[in-house]
Amino acid sequence: MNSDNVTKVILSTIKEHILLSIGIVAAVSGAIITSIIPPLVLARVIDTITGGKTLPVMLTLLYFLFVALTGAAESVREVMLTVFGQKITHALRSRLMDKLTHMTADGLNHQEPGAVVSRFVGDVDTVENLFTSGIISMFADACRIVSIMAVIWFKNRGLAMVLVVLLPFLFWFTRIVQKNMLKAQISNRRAVSRASGHVPETLHNIRTIHSLGKEKYMEERYDTYIGESYQAMEKTNFFDALYSPVILILNAVVVAVVMLLSASGNAGVLAFFGMSAGTAVAVINYISQIFSPVESLGMEIQTIQSAIAGVHRINEFLAFDEIPPFEKDDGRTRCEDDSKEESVVSFQNVTFAYEDHKVLDHFSLEVKKGEQVTLLGRTGSGKSTIFKLILGLYEPQSGEVYICGRKVINIPEKEKRKMFGYVEQTFHMVPGTVKDQITLFDPSISMEQVRTAAKMAGIDDTIMDFEHGYETHCTEEMFSQGQLQLLAIARAVVAEPRLLLLDEITANLDAQTEECLMKALKRVSADRTVLSISHRIHAETGRVVRIG
Amino acid sequence: MEKTTKENAMTDRISYYFKREWKVLFIITVSGILYNLGILAGPLFEGKMTGCLVDILGGKAAVSRMIMLVISYVIAIAVVQISRYVKRFYVRRFSNNVNRRMKGVLYRSLVHKSRAELEQEGAGDVMTKAILDVDDCAEGMRKFTTEIFDTGIALAAYAGMLLYYDWRLALISMIFPPVSYVIAEKMKTVVQRTGAAFKKQAGALSMATLDRASNAVTYRIYGCEQERKAAYEERLSAYEKSAVRANIWGTAFPPVYRVISMAGTIFILYYGSKNILGTGWKSWDVAAFTTFLACFTKLSEKSSHAAKLFNAVHKAQVSWKRIKPLLKDTQCDDKTAAAGPGELAAAGLGFSYPDGTAIYQDVTFSAEPGQIIGITGAVASGKSTLGKTFLCEYPYEGRITFAGRELREMEPDQRAGIFGYLGHDPELFNDSVRNNVLMGDDDDVWKFLCAVCLDGEVKEMEQGCDTVVGSTGVRLSGGQAQRLALARTLCHRRPVLILDDPFSALDRDTENQVFQNLRSFAGDSIVIIISHRLYLFPELDQVIWMENGRAVAGTHDEIMKKCDEYARLYNTQADKSPKGGNGR
Repeated sequence: MNSDNVTKVILSTIKEHILLSIGIVAAVSGAIITSIIPPLVLARVIDTITGGKTLPVMLTLLYFLFVALTGAAESVREVMLTVFGQKITHALRSRLMDKLTHMTADGLNHQEPGAVVSRFVGDVDTVENLFTSGIISMFADACRIVSIMAVIWFKNRGLAMVLVVLLPFLFWFTRIVQKNMLKAQISNRRAVSRASGHVPETLHNIRTIHSLGKEKYMEERYDTYIGESYQAMEKTNFFDALYSPVILILNAVVVAVVMLLSASGNAGVLAFFGMSAGTAVAVINYISQIFSPVESLGMEIQTIQSAIAGVHRINEFLAFDEIPPFEKDDGRTRCEDDSKEESVVSFQNVTFAYEDHKVLDHFSLEVKKGEQVTLLGRTGSGKSTIFKLILGLYEPQSGEVYICGRKVINIPEKEKRKMFGYVEQTFHMVPGTVKDQITLFDPSISMEQVRTAAKMAGIDDTIMDFEHGYETHCTEEMFSQGQLQLLAIARAVVAEPRLLLLDEITANLDAQTEECLMKALKRVSADRTVLSISHRIHAETGRVVRIG
Repeated sequence: MEKTTKENAMTDRISYYFKREWKVLFIITVSGILYNLGILAGPLFEGKMTGCLVDILGGKAAVSRMIMLVISYVIAIAVVQISRYVKRFYVRRFSNNVNRRMKGVLYRSLVHKSRAELEQEGAGDVMTKAILDVDDCAEGMRKFTTEIFDTGIALAAYAGMLLYYDWRLALISMIFPPVSYVIAEKMKTVVQRTGAAFKKQAGALSMATLDRASNAVTYRIYGCEQERKAAYEERLSAYEKSAVRANIWGTAFPPVYRVISMAGTIFILYYGSKNILGTGWKSWDVAAFTTFLACFTKLSEKSSHAAKLFNAVHKAQVSWKRIKPLLKDTQCDDKTAAAGPGELAAAGLGFSYPDGTAIYQDVTFSAEPGQIIGITGAVASGKSTLGKTFLCEYPYEGRITFAGRELREMEPDQRAGIFGYLGHDPELFNDSVRNNVLMGDDDDVWKFLCAVCLDGEVKEMEQGCDTVVGSTGVRLSGGQAQRLALARTLCHRRPVLILDDPFSALDRDTENQVFQNLRSFAGDSIVIIISHRLYLFPELDQVIWMENGRAVAGTHDEIMKKCDEYARLYNTQADKSPKGGNGR
């Protein structure tokens, strides 16, 4: 699984949808072939007419038929490409999510959520573009150029030779223009962001601006910034406005040269350039057709370049460390059956270090059923590390951590919540209803359990006051800091765990809310084993363990 | 800008922007017409050249005619394409100028709004959004101007040409492009609906990803990961479905529309060939035939752009409607001149927020020019609020007079000429050190940097005083930002300078030195320093001690005697400081 990367995902997607992949190849080639034919039919039409013969209706219909076929093939190609592109993005995102699920807790903590989103959304989209408007269309355009060249070779050998010389130059010119445009666009974007940053800055610094009387100065600055962004934009405009005229003039020159040479009457020249009137029309048609794929080719190179950067970033993400695969429960009995020791939490000779920094050195701790234990110690003394080991986020380098007689890393995901509840320092709101905040979307938790937990945490009344009660969509503004903590308590106890872990609640609370919180903690602590980090309430009643 | 007063009432009319740009618009019109009529030259000459080739091959014409044709063809195309270049370039310049002008008007009204207005009515947000709307509006105006020529005039020209060659055949073949257009219009609602549904799904996917990433540890602790993964998978499937649906309507149909509008070619080939053979409605040669066909192909291509024209107009209209009410030009003369020195007096001064929360009451003190006053007190005693009261952002109780004049009776820019304020937040700009100090004034920046002991550090910066400090001064340390803001305040000296905790991030030596410099720099200005660090207070002319919403004013020695809490605070701070000369 280690060498798993974007290419693998793509290949397996192709394999999985082999019919679709074949269909795309067929549609792409179909569209190319059918688009080559109409000018040939046209040539026949014109030659028939100039020959003074009546035009068979069949020929007319044939012309339109191929125009229609081209359209149909293109249409089918687009549909299949869309479907295929989406299959790939879906597969990539699934793979990324799988990775996230298996990433080490350390890895998770180092991920900036915004950056993760940009990998999942933005980078994957560029890979999709790689298919929908990158590789495949590039292949199609290359084929088109080759097939048009082939037809021209048979129709007008001289023109084909002119084009063979001309096209590389044309391509080079296209790339130069596109590269310059990209550069100008980047500097434009920078200038634009500077100009748009000026507005929030003004709002932020409005007091200073007013008090110094600098309104006029700020207006001038703004105008300068906008001006700078336009200077960069004018450069883009210049290239943008320059490209097609140059191409079209070139197009006209090539047409003119071919026409002139084929009319020259010189036998030597005619050997290469001689053609009938019908062929002339077809050739004019082809010349204008061959220029547009060259332009697209340039754009596709750009798309591919940016997609490669995206692929690189996704591979980077997929290469992060993973947690070891889950070991099956070794069959040790649960604590309620084997209750002679009644040990709920047990650290046996645990050593743990973050990289080089040793936090726990042969540490042992025993918490018995129904005990209320408080861990005290300076920052960095290892209090939170003890919690993280109990929660199974980290594994000790040596020694064992047991909950209710079971190795922590052997506890299956589904049972975790029934074994321990954890009240986090800060409440992490999840997108959803108020009920979802407590259940964390666990369908096995009943509404009754939710309300019991909320009542115990003392937040039920507040929730019932909302318009839709527990089904109200949850937003940060609905709850005060203290109420969010109560919600966190409800979340921790809803699955009725025997062990409760309380992290230091650091929020700045007023006296009244703090009292509410303390009462709620007292209620939920009854009949439970509680391990907490320097919480006053338990420091009063329970055992204190000093760490470090 | 100088003429703004004259044109005042008109900035909220769209015609104003067109009128201001008449020169650019004139160039656009000339080049646009030239280009779009000249576009006929392509098919015309291509037809003529083919016809000529037939004649030459048939021995009916000389090569010289072809040479003439070929030369005029290249010249015609060159002229047309150059006009196109000119047109495109100027259309963009037009939209840029409009954009810039509109933003200028909006920004002007934003920057003149009071802080209270910006905070309370959410006017700041409205303006920020309006500025984004300007982009849409100007872009719409650009597309409109472009399409008027490229679609409107071009279509008319092509249609005219077709009618000229054979009006009956033209009418028959021109049935199809509108048919395809109508079908495309009908499909548009589906495209928009699926597009909107897709956008919604994309938003939901981003949200779900963000949730999964930011709450990853929570889900792991609670053992919800597998289930969240399954839920995410469902999201992905929903996203895939809506993306495919939206894209299929968007990308699969344009080729079909093109085929429909090209159906006219069947008739052109059939009746056109009859025309050549002399059995049709008109008598044609091969040249006319190929020209007609080429013209028609271009027409059917262009007609697919017709929708763009209407979309552009519609979009511009929507955003224009939103910004129009905000585009009223703001009247202002923008002349804040520093006032001369004067006496500052507050009597029975009190302040409560609009929601009724009382902060302090009954503050009375007065200060002569050149005095330095310290305000201090416990946390949340209202000392910062007292400092801000002089800015008149909210109404106050009691009286504040400067040089005998009541503050609330003055104009805002008169007040700005009296009070210089530096708050907790240095409010720096993402600009160079120089611009942050001078703010456009013409003065020697080093003088002020020396005064705040920042000259050495600035000299060591990569680009000296042209170093950009970053958004809100992120590239500076807290102390540097504070001193830079102080330098700015000194550069814009006012008869009263209010400094809220200006030295909090400085070490004592620097603080002492900056304070001494401040004293000489301030001259006859009154300086009010709000601080919780008291060791400089014995050197101040007056001290105001605030406690429980009340204030006591007097010299340091008087307050030491009168207020036990002040004395206690002062002594603790003095004890701790090894260099504090007063504490021994």
